[in-house]
Amino acid sequence: MAVLEMNGIHKSFADLHVLKGITLHVEEGEVVAIIGSSGGGKSTLLRCATTLETIDEGSIRIGGIDLDYKNKKTLAQIRDKFGLVFQNFNLFPHFSVRRNITEALISVHKMSRDEANSICDSLLNKMGLADKGNAYPCNLSGGQQQRVSIARALATNPEILFFDEPTSALDPELTAGVLNVIRDLAKDKMTMVIVTHEMNFARDVADRIVFIDHGIIVEQGPASEVINNPRNERTKAFLSGMRN
Amino acid sequence: MNTELLWSTIKQLWQGFGYTFGIFGFTLLFSLPLGLLVARGRMSKNIIVSSLVRIYISIMRGTPLMLQLLLVYFGPYYLFKVSTGNINIGPFNYRFIATVIGFSLNYAAYFAEIFRGGIQSMPVGQYEAAQVLGFSRMQTYFKIILPQVVKRVLPSVTNEVITLVKDTSLAQVLAVTEMFTVAKELASSQVSVMPFIAAGVFYYIANAIVEISMNRFEKKMSYYS
Ligand SMILES: Nc1ncnc2c1ncn2[C@@H]1O[C@H](COP(=O)(O)OP(=O)(O)OP(=O)(O)O)[C@@H](O)[C@H]1O
Ligand SMILES: [Mg+2]
Repeated sequence: MAVLEMNGIHKSFADLHVLKGITLHVEEGEVVAIIGSSGGGKSTLLRCATTLETIDEGSIRIGGIDLDYKNKKTLAQIRDKFGLVFQNFNLFPHFSVRRNITEALISVHKMSRDEANSICDSLLNKMGLADKGNAYPCNLSGGQQQRVSIARALATNPEILFFDEPTSALDPELTAGVLNVIRDLAKDKMTMVIVTHEMNFARDVADRIVFIDHGIIVEQGPASEVINNPRNERTKAFLSGMRN
Repeated sequence: MNTELLWSTIKQLWQGFGYTFGIFGFTLLFSLPLGLLVARGRMSKNIIVSSLVRIYISIMRGTPLMLQLLLVYFGPYYLFKVSTGNINIGPFNYRFIATVIGFSLNYAAYFAEIFRGGIQSMPVGQYEAAQVLGFSRMQTYFKIILPQVVKRVLPSVTNEVITLVKDTSLAQVLAVTEMFTVAKELASSQVSVMPFIAAGVFYYIANAIVEISMNRFEKKMSYYS
């Protein structure tokens, strides 16, 4: 069953037509990497999927719930179904690592503090941050902060996780830790949509590569096809640009 | 110098200081929340609301506080023929009440602009993270945004609070017997500047206390950056 169904998505900012009819379905357990040149609409697509932008045309369905901006109840339900990891983390700086992870569990999902804490502990363990619960984000490296934000997104046990360039705000030596965490999630069959410029990582981790250019999906398929043997001229041009 | 006279001067100033502190305390109590409300109004998407609030702020900042105090005090009578002589709230007469109202309205405008700056300086990512995590708008505002805004605006608020301590002396225009009014009377009856100097020391100490407490508060907030 498809966890994410985006059908015929159109999105404009004033005169700028950014998404021009994108249809993207993601199956349970599937890892999709979205690649493409700057300004192609990758972030906009993720922002539409995560209710941060409204779409002009098309439909979105996540975890069996149809997105309807006017219906507050389904809007809340749909936000429970996904997690989003931002490029620049967007952790809450005034909260400890633990509170960053548990606050939504406690005040949105009405979970007990003990229950939330035990979820938090197991996530921190998984992220290799077992001793950082009481630290504040400003005292962590960028890579650690991003792993906290992944833990925060995972805390509510979402059906799908979106990443928008999770490592591009990091120093090169810090990317590995974050990418390894995502690899582990892939092994656990977490459904994920990852916008990335890390071609090797995309090739490793993704079941499917989606190449977006100028607001349309130009080419998609397994990494072995799209990255190793692209058929479309624009894909070829993009990839050869990446290699240089 | 006569130490007895000095002692009695200090005692009388101290009594006046009660009113000074009252104006100060009540003004903070009312103007801080009011300022937050005004800031929200100023940022309202409703153009009528935001324009009215903008005009309010502009008038409050653009005219002398002393004149505003006089208006609040005499306005009810001259404009509406409402007699204010017998208005009392507890131990406070209308002179004092008008002073607190005038100060609160005025300081709310300044605080509003400070808060607005603080709120608008918050990165949009904080709102977006809160939204996708399912926080309600109220939760986002009170748990995520406001605590961070407090830290951001603290230095500017400290400035205003220090100014407020000194501004309380403007209440003399309504003949509230706060410390400055007392100092003036003593100075003329003693034909001496000593009461002024003593009052100056009082203001200075009060502000030293304000500064120390606000610095402590700032330090307390510096557990994150
Ligand atoms: N809020 C907005 N208002 C106006 N234009 C926007 C807005 N958000 C994005 N755009 C524009 O939409 C286009 C697509 O932007 P988007 O961020 O989706 O690209 P991207 O594929 O993520 O690029 P990058 O690889 O640089 O992150 C760009 O031209 C961008 O300037
Ligand atoms: Mg982007």
